[in-house]
Amino acid sequence: MALLEVEDLRVAFGASTAVDGVSFAVEQGKIVGLVGESGCGKSVTSLAVMGLLPRGRAAKGRKGDQPVQAAAEEVAGGSVKAAVAAPQAVPAGGGRRRGGGADVSGRAVFDGTDLLSLPPAAMRRRRGKDLAMVFQDPLSSLNPVVPIGRQITEVLERHRGLKGDKANKEAASLLDRVGIPDPVRRLKEYPHQLSGGMRQRVLIAIAVACAPRLLIADEPTTALDVTIQAQILELLKDLVDHEGTALLMITHDLGVVAGMCDEVNVLYSGRVVESAPVRELFARPTHPYTVGLLGSIPRLDLPLHEPLTPIRGSIADVIRWKDGCAFAPRCDRVADACVAGEPALVGSAHAHRCVMAEEVA
Amino acid sequence: MTIAKIEKLDRLIEASVSAREAQTGSLLRQSYRRLRRSPMAVTGAVIVGLFVVVAILGPWIAPYDPTAQTWGREVFLNRNIFPGPRAENWFGLDHLGRDMFSRMIVGARQTLLVGVVATLIGFVAGAVIGGVAAAAGTFGGRWGERVEAVLMRTVDVALAIPMLLLALSVAALMGPSLSTVMVAVGVAQIPIFARLLRGSMLAQAHSDYVLAAVSLGVPKGRIVVSHILPNSLGPVIVQATLVLATAIIEAAALSYLGLGNPDPGSAEWGTMLADAQRFLSGAPQLAIYPAVAIIVTALGFTLLGEAMRESLDPRLRSQE
Amino acid sequence: MSTEDHALQDESPQVPVQRTAEPELPAASADPALLEVEDLKVHFPIRRGVVVERTVGHVRAVDGVSLQVAQGGTYGLVGESGCGKTTFGRAVLRLEEPTGGRVRLGDDEVTSLKGERLRKFRSRMQMVFQDPLGSLNPRHNVDMLLSEPLKVHGVGSKEERRKLAVETLDAVGLPKTVLERFPHEFSGGQRQRLGIARALMLRPDLIVCDEPVSALDVSIQAQVMNLLDELQGEFGLTYLVIAHDLAVVRHLSDRVGVMYLGKLVEEADSESIYEHPRHPYTKALLSAVPQPDPEKEATRERIILKGDLPSPANPPSGCRFRTRCPWAQDICAEQEPEWREAASGHKVACHFDL
Ligand SMILES: Nc1ncnc2c1ncn2[C@@H]1O[C@H](COP(=O)(O)OP(=O)(O)OP(=O)(O)O)[C@@H](O)[C@H]1O
Ligand SMILES: Nc1ncnc2c1ncn2[C@@H]1O[C@H](COP(=O)(O)OP(=O)(O)OP(=O)(O)O)[C@@H](O)[C@H]1O
Ligand code: SF4
Ligand code: SF4
Ligand SMILES: [Mg+2]
Ligand SMILES: [Mg+2]
Repeated sequence: MALLEVEDLRVAFGASTAVDGVSFAVEQGKIVGLVGESGCGKSVTSLAVMGLLPRGRAAKGRKGDQPVQAAAEEVAGGSVKAAVAAPQAVPAGGGRRRGGGADVSGRAVFDGTDLLSLPPAAMRRRRGKDLAMVFQDPLSSLNPVVPIGRQITEVLERHRGLKGDKANKEAASLLDRVGIPDPVRRLKEYPHQLSGGMRQRVLIAIAVACAPRLLIADEPTTALDVTIQAQILELLKDLVDHEGTALLMITHDLGVVAGMCDEVNVLYSGRVVESAPVRELFARPTHPYTVGLLGSIPRLDLPLHEPLTPIRGSIADVIRWKDGCAFAPRCDRVADACVAGEPALVGSAHAHRCVMAEEVA
Repeated sequence: MTIAKIEKLDRLIEASVSAREAQTGSLLRQSYRRLRRSPMAVTGAVIVGLFVVVAILGPWIAPYDPTAQTWGREVFLNRNIFPGPRAENWFGLDHLGRDMFSRMIVGARQTLLVGVVATLIGFVAGAVIGGVAAAAGTFGGRWGERVEAVLMRTVDVALAIPMLLLALSVAALMGPSLSTVMVAVGVAQIPIFARLLRGSMLAQAHSDYVLAAVSLGVPKGRIVVSHILPNSLGPVIVQATLVLATAIIEAAALSYLGLGNPDPGSAEWGTMLADAQRFLSGAPQLAIYPAVAIIVTALGFTLLGEAMRESLDPRLRSQE
Repeated sequence: MSTEDHALQDESPQVPVQRTAEPELPAASADPALLEVEDLKVHFPIRRGVVVERTVGHVRAVDGVSLQVAQGGTYGLVGESGCGKTTFGRAVLRLEEPTGGRVRLGDDEVTSLKGERLRKFRSRMQMVFQDPLGSLNPRHNVDMLLSEPLKVHGVGSKEERRKLAVETLDAVGLPKTVLERFPHEFSGGQRQRLGIARALMLRPDLIVCDEPVSALDVSIQAQVMNLLDELQGEFGLTYLVIAHDLAVVRHLSDRVGVMYLGKLVEEADSESIYEHPRHPYTKALLSAVPQPDPEKEATRERIILKGDLPSPANPPSGCRFRTRCPWAQDICAEQEPEWREAASGHKVACHFDL
């Protein structure tokens, strides 16, 4: 059985459904990718698994509210703003809930327990220890007025009971492990004194401080330069190879997916539309959306000025899954069958959600 | 694709959009929609609305003439004991035997007038100073920067003087009268408006759409007037609502200190409060009516202003 | 002339910026470049002090960049965040005052223009911004957005301006029904189309595109890149494309310059720079780009650079790249490598031939 099994996860903010029945599994020591364009529900999925969405009956959902920001806001009480260690993270039905709550249903089974049905206190204990998260924006995820050393030792203290010198030593060795030169000096520095790449390393150090078995990385390199991105990806890969951590990698970059992941789930409008082992997916993309994404990116390994074949329209042109295929308004292969009802996810190793796929393949 | 299919798709897209929140209309309309849903805004608007109606219709709805000492006999007979609320005088009588209810109603107009005029003075003068400073600093080159520096340093100095002191100095210069109060309170608000508009304009001046306008060759004056200014006024207008609340309180304070309208006959809440202090132990209700009225009105404006600020907050806008 | 005739004519004589006299030659190598930048510098003073401001140093955002862009060509400028790409693009358009150097567009010296002449001249060079929403005034509807540039340059009557707006909208793939709508009512890709349409309104010669697609979704990026391609042919445009994404630059450009800490380190035709990068930095950049192909990813040789970008206020001595260069030698710290032609049309600033 896989370490994390997400089954039929649904998240709604008021009337709008952000995640509409997502299922996937992450095995020990594997990297699983969630790919998709902005707004398809990647971050909401990961926040739901981490128990970081404001819960409760949703009030008026506010679109465009960034869930990550909301999460950071929720945990602002702790010195480590990242969700990794903050015990204050989930105000179950309380806290500042300006954006309205999220209705979460489905299951996220981690090592035999359903995280979604855990009481907030129990979830808090697991967060940081068993599963940890790294966000896209390393600056807003760190507390600006606390030295990074303190932000790391706080986690060590809470979850591993390390104190004083011991904690400091461990913090320095963590920084060393994520490739920060001169770690002892760095411990005393504040986030603004570090570069973006360094900050992301610090966040990763905090996330792996308690040797979590699952790490969720939400666009960990999107804000970074390619040369820095290469460093961070290398580091994450190393962690998986040497510690056996499972990694859920959220990204919109198919290049990153190709280089990092073992399994890939392509999301569109809150659902998995294709899922396959990475080589299989790139060798035989089946869903028209995946095919379209691959045709949209300029590549360095193809002849110069190879024309791009974009997907037409935008993600605003979408229909509800219960009416038919959400991708139909943008799909070139659309047929009557596509809007005749809910398309099912077919196949097991290489699954896709397209009624026309067989005909084309 | 067949026509039928396209139509069906359109219909389904439509359904999906209406399932989500409708997101159309100008930014202003969206803000208004949010405003209408906010209990804070509604409460504020009801209070302010009521106040304005009373202020306008005051003389017609007041049951008696606010200056008529109709019940003087009753009052002068037993010194410092004034009849409280009763059937013919809902709020009782004041120390000169005048109907308090009528005075309160008619006084609303004076109070509103003071608040609005004072705020207008602060708004207009402050906006001109702040606007000129920001425009000069952004587009005026070296000289402009100097103009901006001089203007803003002056404003900073003015801002450092306590508001009441500033108002008192103005009042001392002009002698006690209603216009003194208005000017004094207005002048005291100038620095706030100037700073606010300048800050807001500078933020807009560094935005990409202003850079785009420059790159299109839009003349500087036009950039300021048609791009920067309209996008900077939002927070200033919100501030004006909030200032109205303070202006009413301050005007009351100045009247209370005896700088208001010296005519004892005039009905104005601040003056009424000042008059009532002599009888505080015997007839506290004379002070309570105007005090509560001032507080509630100020609260109304504050609620409305805060709600407006929230509804205009760009972070709450749809980012679709 | 009736407005009907006018509309049919693509090259409206009412548009003063239209230089129909310009020969419609393909970008032949003998042609003098449309845009020529010589030793452009932009230094930002670093000020300290509360009451009396002192200048304590300079951020050398752009520190001596020279390049030429051929008529009808596309020059791609790549580099990491903070290397000065945006500042360069803005300085070329005189949106940022250059500290030194020259910019020539056609026969005109852009750097010596002043006041009203500069304002008038702006119609010949335009910019497309990275943030499509931020670059559109939220209170102006599409009609106002598109007709303002014409109005301020005194082009056409109200109807003619509207007609031209509709034509341009059509060129960027938007229906004329959007004229009354406001920027926030569009999707990201459509907003970028609006930004491009606005830049096209004055039918400029040169368009500087600063990260034209980096704020857009993958599937939308491709639409916008294809659009830029089409428009180039249709309107005879010359592009300076600024981006951090090497694949995007490669796709759009025929000549590419790589920038590091305010200077060019390598410049060549797209083909040769991507096939045979000569500068260590270019090699590292190219090797860092993940490919959407698991087979190639498994065998891709990566040059992982150490450390971060040094501060442009205090660049390293000698070769600016030496603090991160895997090939650095002693000489690199002492002597600044010269900007030399390593092969025909392939310039590089490195002491060694790698
Ligand atoms: N707090 C919230 N209230 C209402 N809607 C929300 C909230 N958070 C997210 N959403 C909506 O849920 C959908 C999915 O958002 P999500 O952040 O998961 O997208 P994403 O795939 O992570 O996109 P991106 O690549 O931009 O990060 C979006 O349509 C978003 O508007
Ligand atoms: N107005 C300014 N004042 C001071 N420094 C500035 C200013 N504008 C830019 N800089 C500095 O100049 C350098 C170059 O900035 P620039 O924006 O040109 O970089 P860039 O290559 O476009 O980066 P990015 O990819 O992040 O957009 C940076 O170090 C930046 O901090
Ligand atoms: S189900 Fe139909 S519309 Fe959806 S992706 Fe497949 S072919 Fe396209
Ligand atoms: S000059 Fe030296 S440091 Fe600079 S790129 Fe060449 S080898 Fe590297
Ligand atoms: Mg996200
Ligand atoms: Mg830039």
